[in-house]
Amino acid sequence: MGSSRQDKFQQLSDGFLALSEEEAERVSSYSDELFRPAEFDTEAAEKAGYSNYSYWGSTLRLFLSNKVSVFLLVFLAALLVFTFVQPYLPNQLHPNTIYQDPETGIHYRNVKPNAKFWFGTNNIGQDLWSRIWSGTRTSLFIGLCVALVTNVVGITLGSIWGYARKWDKLFTEIYNLFDNIPYTVLRMLITFIMRPSLFTMIFVMCLTGWIRMAKYIRNQILIYRDREYNLASRCLGTPALRIVVKNIMPQLVSVIMLQTALCIPDAIGSEVFLTYIGLGLPVSIPSLGNLINEGRLVMLVPAQRYQLFFPVIVVSIITVSFYALGNAFADASDPRNHRR
Amino acid sequence: MSDSGRTSETILRVEDLVVKFGLRGQVLTALRGVSLDLREGESLAIVGESGAGKSVFTKCFLGMLDANGWVDSGSIMFEGQDLAKFTTEKEWLRIRGKKIAMVFQDPMTSLNPLRTVGSQISEVLGLHEGLRGDDAKSRTYEILDQVGINDPEMRYRQYPHEFSGGMRQRVVIAIAVACNPKILICDEPTTALDVTIQAQILDLVKRLQEQLGLTIIYITHDLGVVANVADTVAVMYAGDVVEYGSAEEVFYDPRHPYTWALLSSLPQLGIKGQPLYSIRGTPPSLFADIKGDAFAPRNPNALAIDLMERPPYYKVTPTHYARTWLLDPRATPIEPPEAIKAMRAKYKRDAQ
Amino acid sequence: MARYVVGRLGRALITMFIVLSIVFMLMRLLPVETYYGARSDTMSDAVKEQILRNLGLLDPMPKQLARFWSETLRGNLGRSIVLRVGQENTSIIGPKAVYSFRFGIASLAISLIIGLSMGVLMAANKGKYIDRLGNTYILLINALPAAVYYLFIQLYITQLFKIPMLYDARNPVTWILPTVSMSLGGIASNSMWMRRYMVDQLNQDYIRLAMAKGMSSRQVAFRHILRNAFIPMSQSLPTSLLFTISGSLYIESLYSIPGMGGLLITAIQRQDNTLVQAMVLLYSALSVTGMLLGDLLMMVVDPRIKLVKEGGVR
Repeated sequence: MGSSRQDKFQQLSDGFLALSEEEAERVSSYSDELFRPAEFDTEAAEKAGYSNYSYWGSTLRLFLSNKVSVFLLVFLAALLVFTFVQPYLPNQLHPNTIYQDPETGIHYRNVKPNAKFWFGTNNIGQDLWSRIWSGTRTSLFIGLCVALVTNVVGITLGSIWGYARKWDKLFTEIYNLFDNIPYTVLRMLITFIMRPSLFTMIFVMCLTGWIRMAKYIRNQILIYRDREYNLASRCLGTPALRIVVKNIMPQLVSVIMLQTALCIPDAIGSEVFLTYIGLGLPVSIPSLGNLINEGRLVMLVPAQRYQLFFPVIVVSIITVSFYALGNAFADASDPRNHRR
Repeated sequence: MSDSGRTSETILRVEDLVVKFGLRGQVLTALRGVSLDLREGESLAIVGESGAGKSVFTKCFLGMLDANGWVDSGSIMFEGQDLAKFTTEKEWLRIRGKKIAMVFQDPMTSLNPLRTVGSQISEVLGLHEGLRGDDAKSRTYEILDQVGINDPEMRYRQYPHEFSGGMRQRVVIAIAVACNPKILICDEPTTALDVTIQAQILDLVKRLQEQLGLTIIYITHDLGVVANVADTVAVMYAGDVVEYGSAEEVFYDPRHPYTWALLSSLPQLGIKGQPLYSIRGTPPSLFADIKGDAFAPRNPNALAIDLMERPPYYKVTPTHYARTWLLDPRATPIEPPEAIKAMRAKYKRDAQ
Repeated sequence: MARYVVGRLGRALITMFIVLSIVFMLMRLLPVETYYGARSDTMSDAVKEQILRNLGLLDPMPKQLARFWSETLRGNLGRSIVLRVGQENTSIIGPKAVYSFRFGIASLAISLIIGLSMGVLMAANKGKYIDRLGNTYILLINALPAAVYYLFIQLYITQLFKIPMLYDARNPVTWILPTVSMSLGGIASNSMWMRRYMVDQLNQDYIRLAMAKGMSSRQVAFRHILRNAFIPMSQSLPTSLLFTISGSLYIESLYSIPGMGGLLITAIQRQDNTLVQAMVLLYSALSVTGMLLGDLLMMVVDPRIKLVKEGGVR
């Protein structure tokens, strides 16, 4: 018994290579039972695959892991809500009313911030606090309108442009044409021709904005359109619209959201610019551009500098937050960043 | 693995190499304890499916793992140094291009499109041998000649887009061997090329090996290439070397069920009128710990112990090893597939 | 290759023709009242009509277009009707362009040098402090309306250093702020672009090969990536250069610099239509030319675009 076991051990250990003596001994002590064939489970064979990757899951995870972005999102949401709720809060004054002391009849001009006028008043007696929020509403409204129109028009035309080969050339030529006209000048020109108004401003920004979106969408579609899975769909007879909507659109959502987020600071910037030149909104509609301009006129007087300060701070906060948020989302939705 | 049965020196010895990657918050083990010896002057072919870990393995020799990967444990002994312990770029600069060089898969994108071909070769000479100006140029002409590119003076001044795919691969090879490295790694060198060009490139590499005394590692999933050029073959599966031996031994006397499956799926071994063989199932996820033999779930002939514990290397001949419990004397004898038996029979006949 | 050049040139000319014609026709949409000038309420209808007739505004559009082109090609861009009544627009614009050009060139140089260096620095130190600092800078400049930071710079820096707020040709100190302000945007975009390009290139195959050769990351960055980065950059260079002439509308206004930008703003505010038209035409022409030159420059600099060479591809 002893010697045959010894022989067996010798036989086994000649065959083993990478094991130490104890391990070789341990292995040779395994019962013969273990060396019989096992039940073959076909299910288990197929199951051992990869894939736990979800695009939106990873995007969300990345986005939420960045504390700054989450803060910005919450902050901006709160800001937006506040902007629109503000007039309904108690103790709010009216943006266009000129306030005067009920006893003396003197207008409350250039009053520094105090308990009644939280941001002070401007040089004709209007309450800055309410004016600023009214202006913010206007600017946001412009921005959102522009974003909406640019997105809808840009996506639709961009999709057609990218998907229908025969229209590509025509559209590309039109794009090149547009591209050649410096769009600042174009905006100025059109506003000049159409006379400044709220509608003009929105129109002008949409005009120069849709093209960029359309080109981007077109580029993306060109990339995805000829991916093999889409070619397969086409072979199977799937209608073009369905392919575009189900296969390609989801890829573009992140881009669309980015552009929308950037639209707001862009719109505000353009509005400030046009107002500065004199092609902005009429003074009766408070807007951030107007307010900054009015503030600029009195900035040399230190006591009245707050009139410039407050609009500028609000503008800065809004533009920077939107921009940063847009960037953060773009980073999170970029598949290249999903590796980490 | 034992040294017996070999004649030349071991120039690279890998022991129990474990490489991991951090991916989407999880850890993936790409190499699960790989050991290998590389002999001077030999041609080793590493075969396996995509994802088996072939490229990761060789990237470790140059310190070119992706940013989210690292060597967890194990050693790579080369010229008395442990490459697995390198931490700074400076250490690697003494190895890359000079002692160990690499030829990449896609010649179309491997070269800088905005610089002349000649300058890209001379650059390597300047880095490691200190050659500049005309010295570098004339040496470059020699090298271009060596890799079979005619009219080197004119070719020197041309840009990559003026070369065909096969010629670009020759240039990449030229860059790799310019400073006479000891080891040349060819990562799928012919996959992106036409079939006719493939043969030329393989011949070129063989010729250079003789002329310069190179030791070559081929990474490939094309068994035809292996048959053509390899002295030794290492079969990789799921981050481990499952079988290792001379080309003849592995082709004609394979012992690991995975190698059987791999060889059986060669179209040339198919029997007319019958469905082509394909391996059922998919490779295991490398995120989880793998219990037992990685191939066992897909192996209809697996033993009970295959599902429980990872087999050690068993010796078939002093030069041929396989990681399978089937080689244990107690194991129930399992017959390899028909095609393999046919090949084995043919081999025995030819040997007599 | 010659064919490409000729083709490109031809396209530019056609584009120029179409763009300028469109601008011209757009200008025709302006209400006619604006052409009467300052004393419109005292004019009789006959006089008003005569003014319009002189300006050719009563003719049918094709005739107007033809007249427009024949005049423009002879260098006649019309006469001012409000600012300097009767004076040729070209002579009004000329001197202003020189001012704008000087400031433009200086700020372009600054934004290129600092911007590109910053971009390289950021890419080399990706993720570290300096990269984050740079990215914050870029974010702020891109997000905030230019009006805001230009204004603040003017307001606070002048107070801090006790320098005069407006531009004065005799006092070089006043030249600094406008130039620096103008270059801020350029620095942001140059550095962002450069950084992005360099980071993208790091993942390319040929970079992998360069590293496998035994080049240090630094050598790879300079000898391969940086050199390659200049090729696409050069495409936008001529346009940037030409636009220096157009001047920054904001800056010139803020600092009272007598340049093209300020002129345009004044022309718009005072409704000097012919002058506005002349200037817009000029800007558009500059834009088209800039793009043409950019494409041609790319062709010279990028070896891949040298098509059909003898010996060619094997």
